[in-house]
Amino acid sequence: MRVAPAEIAALRARLPAAFGASLAVRVGRVVLAVLAVAWLVADLVWFDLTPARLWAGIGGLGKILRLMFPPSPGEQWLDILNGLAQSVAMAFLGSFLAMLIAVPLGFLGARNVVVNALAHFTIRRFFDGMRGMDQLIWALAFVRAVGLGPLAGVMAIMAAEIAILAKLFAEAIENADTRQPEAITAVGGNSVLRMRFGLLPQVAPVMLAQFLYQVESNTRSASILGVVGAGGIGLQISERIRVGYWDQVLFIIILILVMVAAIDQLSALIRRKLIGEG
Amino acid sequence: MQHSTLELRGLTRRFGAKVAVDGVTLSVPPGQMLGILGRSGAGKSTLLRMINRLIEPSAGTIRYGGADVTALTGKALRDWRSGCAMIFQQFNLIPRLDVLTNVLMGRLNHRPVLSSLFGMFSAEERAMALRALERFDLLETALRRAGQISGGQQQRVAICRALLQEPALLLADEPIASLDPHNARVVMDALRLINREDGLTVLCNLHHIDTARSYCDRIVAMQDGRIVFDGSAGELTSDRVREIYGVSEDEFHGAAMPAGDLMLA
Repeated sequence: MRVAPAEIAALRARLPAAFGASLAVRVGRVVLAVLAVAWLVADLVWFDLTPARLWAGIGGLGKILRLMFPPSPGEQWLDILNGLAQSVAMAFLGSFLAMLIAVPLGFLGARNVVVNALAHFTIRRFFDGMRGMDQLIWALAFVRAVGLGPLAGVMAIMAAEIAILAKLFAEAIENADTRQPEAITAVGGNSVLRMRFGLLPQVAPVMLAQFLYQVESNTRSASILGVVGAGGIGLQISERIRVGYWDQVLFIIILILVMVAAIDQLSALIRRKLIGEG
Repeated sequence: MQHSTLELRGLTRRFGAKVAVDGVTLSVPPGQMLGILGRSGAGKSTLLRMINRLIEPSAGTIRYGGADVTALTGKALRDWRSGCAMIFQQFNLIPRLDVLTNVLMGRLNHRPVLSSLFGMFSAEERAMALRALERFDLLETALRRAGQISGGQQQRVAICRALLQEPALLLADEPIASLDPHNARVVMDALRLINREDGLTVLCNLHHIDTARSYCDRIVAMQDGRIVFDGSAGELTSDRVREIYGVSEDEFHGAAMPAGDLMLA
């Protein structure tokens, strides 16, 4: 099935794009690649990242790793358990309150529910703005506003989570099958009934799955909020790092890993029970 | 690949306790267009997939031109697969890639892996692909994403991909079951064209008797994993169908086709 050169030339003349990118596109690609590499090198120079310094950093980490073994619960292990429980509670409470607010916001942010383009644009940019602020910054702000302790942590998680869940929910709703709401319209249902029976049954499992994932993810991030005084296990970690009790730090890290794994298992179980395998 | 006779001997496949294909012995001479007929679950798909070793046989042998296909491994197995091209019911294209690249996938076993990884296909290979697309009236779709064209077009793209493999055999597994009657005819015409013009041996799973009768030189009917009829299209009369399956032709189709499936009258 060899092709004669004349036929290749004829096909190339008919469909030049089928024979690879044009010269301009290829030059553009090379320029972009050069720029990317130049930026990378510039950053390495800027931060003075030499192989020797990276190697020294790894050596320093090795020293800390040696101090971590064997892990030890220390004297105040009750404080550790208390902090851990607080982190989990903060994560769940913050995520749950956020979900309550994010469900209606998600519907408002979905293009197939709020059809007005300007309204949709405004709502979605508002979500983006909220998400632009990291949980830790919210925590710092709430520690100032409501004082030290878990309340600041719960509010920080909630504030950051509302925008994330609302965006995820809105996207799930936008990707929903349009035939189901069409059926509700056809039987004479109004727009609220359309959302209730045409959209909610298909997006609810997606929403639940995303909520459970966010609870797990927030449990991990809640362990850091204590560092800035917003309650939870983070305070215990930062205190022990300050005085160099690395064996106890490792103990806490192991507990966090076990806890996150347990939550992961639990959420998988809930998902299976409520959504089913399919 | 050399054109030879395909020989199946006692080919069997078990899934747990269920026997999907039960001791099939069949000889297919080069250049034949063979229709394999049967209801869903009769073992047609399993049989076809065993031939290009997508499914491993539990027992029996496949021979082609003196080579034991069932014993092939590694490069020899990949060569065999490339020599007996497969057409799937659901087309199995890569929807995110353009039509041209999908067709070029047929060359993958004929060229160095590294240059394939970077999509560096030669001008000649591209011309081959375009020529195949032009033959089936698809040239203008060459640069569109495969997922964006119609089902009938997608199946013809899959045929182009198969042709770029330069195979000796073509295995078509229910190639028209997902298509409307018009597109089904276009695709069956295309299969017959490459059987007649390119001399490819075509094995085609079908579940509609009329399609098999009008397109195939020879028909093999299967039931419960066994061959229950083997003869020319003319020999498979309505009476024979009733004799074999114990139901009339219309009842056969009623049972063979899931609800909503379209008849190819």
